[in-house]
Amino acid sequence: MTHHAHDPHGPVTRAGETADETLEHAAQGHEDGHGHGGVGKYLLVFAALCGLTTMSFLTYSSFWPWRDEPHVGWAFMMAVSCTKAMLVVLFFMHVLWEANWKYVLTIPAAMMAVFLAIMLVPDVGLRNRMVAQERALHMARQSDVRLLQQAAEAKLLSDQAH
Amino acid sequence: MNASAISIPHDPDHHGGDHGHHGHVTLQYQPGLPLSKGKLIMWLFLSTEIMFFAALLGSYVVLRFGAAVWPKPHHVHLSEPIGAFNTFVLICSSVTIVLALEAARANKTGLAKMWMVLTLALGTLFLGVKAFEYQAKFSHGIYPWSPRSRVFEKPDLYYGSAVRARLGEPAMIDRLKELDETPEDKLSPEEISARRRLKQVREMVASPDQQPFDLAVVADQVMPLPADGAGAHGGHGPHGLNDTFPWLKLPAVIPGGNMWASTYFFLTGFHAIHVLVGLIVFAILLLYRLGPKRAGMIENAGLYWHFVDLVWIFLFPLLYLF
Repeated sequence: MTHHAHDPHGPVTRAGETADETLEHAAQGHEDGHGHGGVGKYLLVFAALCGLTTMSFLTYSSFWPWRDEPHVGWAFMMAVSCTKAMLVVLFFMHVLWEANWKYVLTIPAAMMAVFLAIMLVPDVGLRNRMVAQERALHMARQSDVRLLQQAAEAKLLSDQAH
Repeated sequence: MNASAISIPHDPDHHGGDHGHHGHVTLQYQPGLPLSKGKLIMWLFLSTEIMFFAALLGSYVVLRFGAAVWPKPHHVHLSEPIGAFNTFVLICSSVTIVLALEAARANKTGLAKMWMVLTLALGTLFLGVKAFEYQAKFSHGIYPWSPRSRVFEKPDLYYGSAVRARLGEPAMIDRLKELDETPEDKLSPEEISARRRLKQVREMVASPDQQPFDLAVVADQVMPLPADGAGAHGGHGPHGLNDTFPWLKLPAVIPGGNMWASTYFFLTGFHAIHVLVGLIVFAILLLYRLGPKRAGMIENAGLYWHFVDLVWIFLFPLLYLF
């Protein structure tokens, strides 16, 4: 009964060693074992991350054609962010080369994260659907923004008068 | 592990490494998960962190899209280029920590130390930029405070009375008198204009027949909200009285500004605490010889650091560009 680095269940501990020690050995000789990593690959990922950051920054520049449609920009930025996150997780955090335990730890946590956000919607997200009159009096509304804009335009007129 | 329970005949093909008490015994121990204890703990911790930051980010998104009004990034003096620069800094630091790990595995201890120092420097740079940004918010009266910062939600009577109260403080009365008595040749043209407008503001908030629109004019004079097109490229919009006379510190109006400040400081604050913890870990790691023996430690610290980077990857567009 011998053990291989290519065992589908991950490395098997050598006799007389703890799991940590075996993995340390595996880490030392990982070039022949998995053949992942490599400075070139990391730099490629780095370039991709920089390119993607520039892309999401594009939505802020005047070149972005959908300035009047914020939802297009939001969807685009979230897509870019998810791509960046996947690159970091897969390559920098080495998840691409990990055994199947990665699903056990990440998928339930990710599902909980999504549920957490959804559970906030009824109480927090929809809090302004029906509000008490007192709160309606004191909360900021779109009409306040318009009022301030009108005030700004009025000031411009008075400046010209002087 | 007690090896004496099972006894297996000696296998001549077995390749050494058995220095156990019972020379003839060969045991294989299959760990529950094929990863080291440290890495397992780190990943368990990170899965709780995923939920922690998901709760924060989820609350932010839900609060933001449920709000009647949410300030535009330039209403709250956020600079998109600075945010993008910080994103770049964190991505660079993620690369340097990965390179430190590679160098340590290849037993290039000097190189590993160099990359680690660079990571530490980049993380510190990130925190420095963050501190600069916080300072810009504080100077505009935007900070999390109970019941409110210097930011008011709307130009209503409460706002008017807050401006009146500030102008009526004894120290303020002296300062305003001093300003009124300063001859015009000692003031810049901007200050002369601002002094004239401040006088109007003082009359408006004290006037007995004050109209609701007057208070909107006051708010606009104190700290104008940049128009949609104007301030979009980091250029400074119209200067308010608070900008011309920083000692004035008059209450300002940013619709939705208080909720924005709470979420902004909560999210970036927790992220900054995580960055700080990472920097402390790197500083401790620098005390060691960063060879293959420490590769596991560097890898775990790196996992944490990449996660911090990951959070910022989502924070940047959500806070600066949405």
